[in-house]
Amino acid sequence: MQTVTEPQTQRAPPGFWRRLVRSPSGLVGLSIVLLLVFCAAFADVLAPYSPTKMGAGGRFLPPGGKYLLGTDEFGRDMFSRILYGSRITLLIGAVAVGISLTVGMLVGMIAAFRRGWIEAILMRGTDVLFSFTETLIALSFVAVLGPSLQNAVIAVGVAGVPFYARTCYSAALVETSKPYFEASIAAGAGPARLVLTHLLPNVLPTMIVVATLGVSTAILAAAGLSFLGLGAQPPTSEWGYMLAGSRDYINRAPWLMTIPGLAIAVTVLGFNLLGDGLRTSLDPVERK
Amino acid sequence: MWRFLGTRLAMGALTIWITTILVTLLIHAVPGDPVQIMYAQSQGTTPEQIEEVRRSLGLDRPIPVQYAMFIERLLHGDLGNTIRGGQPVLDVIMQRLPNTLILACAAMFIAILIGVPIGFLAAYREGSVVDISLMVLAIAGISMPHFWLGLMLLFFFALELGWLPVSGSGPLNLILPALTLGLSNAAIFARLTRSSMIDVMSQDYVQTAFAKGLPKALVLRRHVLRAGLLPVVTMMGLQFAFMMGGTIVVENIFSWNGVGRMAVEAIFQRDYPIIQGFILTFSVVVVTVAIVIDALYAVLDPRIRRA
Repeated sequence: MQTVTEPQTQRAPPGFWRRLVRSPSGLVGLSIVLLLVFCAAFADVLAPYSPTKMGAGGRFLPPGGKYLLGTDEFGRDMFSRILYGSRITLLIGAVAVGISLTVGMLVGMIAAFRRGWIEAILMRGTDVLFSFTETLIALSFVAVLGPSLQNAVIAVGVAGVPFYARTCYSAALVETSKPYFEASIAAGAGPARLVLTHLLPNVLPTMIVVATLGVSTAILAAAGLSFLGLGAQPPTSEWGYMLAGSRDYINRAPWLMTIPGLAIAVTVLGFNLLGDGLRTSLDPVERK
Repeated sequence: MWRFLGTRLAMGALTIWITTILVTLLIHAVPGDPVQIMYAQSQGTTPEQIEEVRRSLGLDRPIPVQYAMFIERLLHGDLGNTIRGGQPVLDVIMQRLPNTLILACAAMFIAILIGVPIGFLAAYREGSVVDISLMVLAIAGISMPHFWLGLMLLFFFALELGWLPVSGSGPLNLILPALTLGLSNAAIFARLTRSSMIDVMSQDYVQTAFAKGLPKALVLRRHVLRAGLLPVVTMMGLQFAFMMGGTIVVENIFSWNGVGRMAVEAIFQRDYPIIQGFILTFSVVVVTVAIVIDALYAVLDPRIRRA
């Protein structure tokens, strides 16, 4: 049970970073994510070749030697493509989660704060969308807008909204029923003060955990769409798309399949572990 | 219990009703002229033919009229005809739906068969090396893209070892796609079962049962397993929806002739009647399964059964 009744400040709870790096999942997750951010930020410095330049050293060169991770069917350097792919992947995760988080939190907070018929409409609507499942929402969006990476990211972002809205709604509802919140209303706090100083900071820890885990889901979903040909288009070095292209050469060049898949798996694992770590270090119950 | 089920039924009906509205609106959300887009790929379509299609789809009428027409046809079991080939959409879907359901059910079976015992074992040995390694395995499993897992299984078992066929739709062909989908969901079941069991094991009545000297196996079976599996059952509806979503990708990897593969092809071909039919079918299946599982839950949980 939560015993803290006074609102937390917007600053991270004391000892947050220490707790995060002391938990094994938090440390490993944070390291993976930082490494990814580093690769993405310095892709053009780190990459030995252009990710789209064809046929420089020969096609289907196995990993090792001059081309660290080998070359693909067009003779493009796989290592450089993977590096540039990390840029695309992180951007996909950030934009998609940004959409889900913004819209979801808005819906969830309004529903919890306004109550009444607004709450009823918003939350029943969310329930209906939730039962559509994220895959179906994303697929419908791509079906309407047409296949492209941009549309796939929007689709994945929109598909996530119901889940974020639900989570934010229940977190906000817990807050509004606490004595300090009622006291604040009684003391004459206006809606802006109630939402900005009480609801938002207290909902934020939950939402940070959800969003971190959500980056994994979003990256997986977008890579899945690209894998089906409904997302990234050539010559983008998006990992899911690269994986789809590898199917034709699965016997001849299996590394074309193992490397992008591993890249996706490690990225998703990183965000999953970081999310787990954040949960334990932000949650006052588990913190004890 | 009846009230509980009544609410679920009403919610399901609402969902399907909203789906029919969204599906009607879907074609209007397409940027540009949907009929032009649909026929962009076939050569030699005259403007007259395009107008004819527009009329037959009812797209020249006001949207409420279109919706009424759609519902009327739907009640007669008519989902329209496909753009390529002109077959009834319902037939095309019904031919493939059983394949998708078989795949999803087989995957569900595998996921439960592997995930629940692992979760139970991990909870029983909470904090031990066994628990930690099983949970590391589970988080790795959750992070594994199922399309990648599918390709790897295909590579090793079908191409390298030659034990199983690469594609097709016989019983042997079911193994790899079901395994792909089942394994990635087994990890979710394992985590879920573990946390639910740990919850139950710390309950007073379980502690009491142990304290009064009941045999361990009896306490586990009668008190822990029964109560601990309930949340797992509740999650099965959601899991099945995940499985249905997963079939879309997995069917494409293994050329399994289900509705997921059909839907992706239809998106490429801009065959909107099929896409509409697919969305409707998908949500009907997901909603129906969710209601069946809720009913199961209501029967299993005495708190709801006797309410």
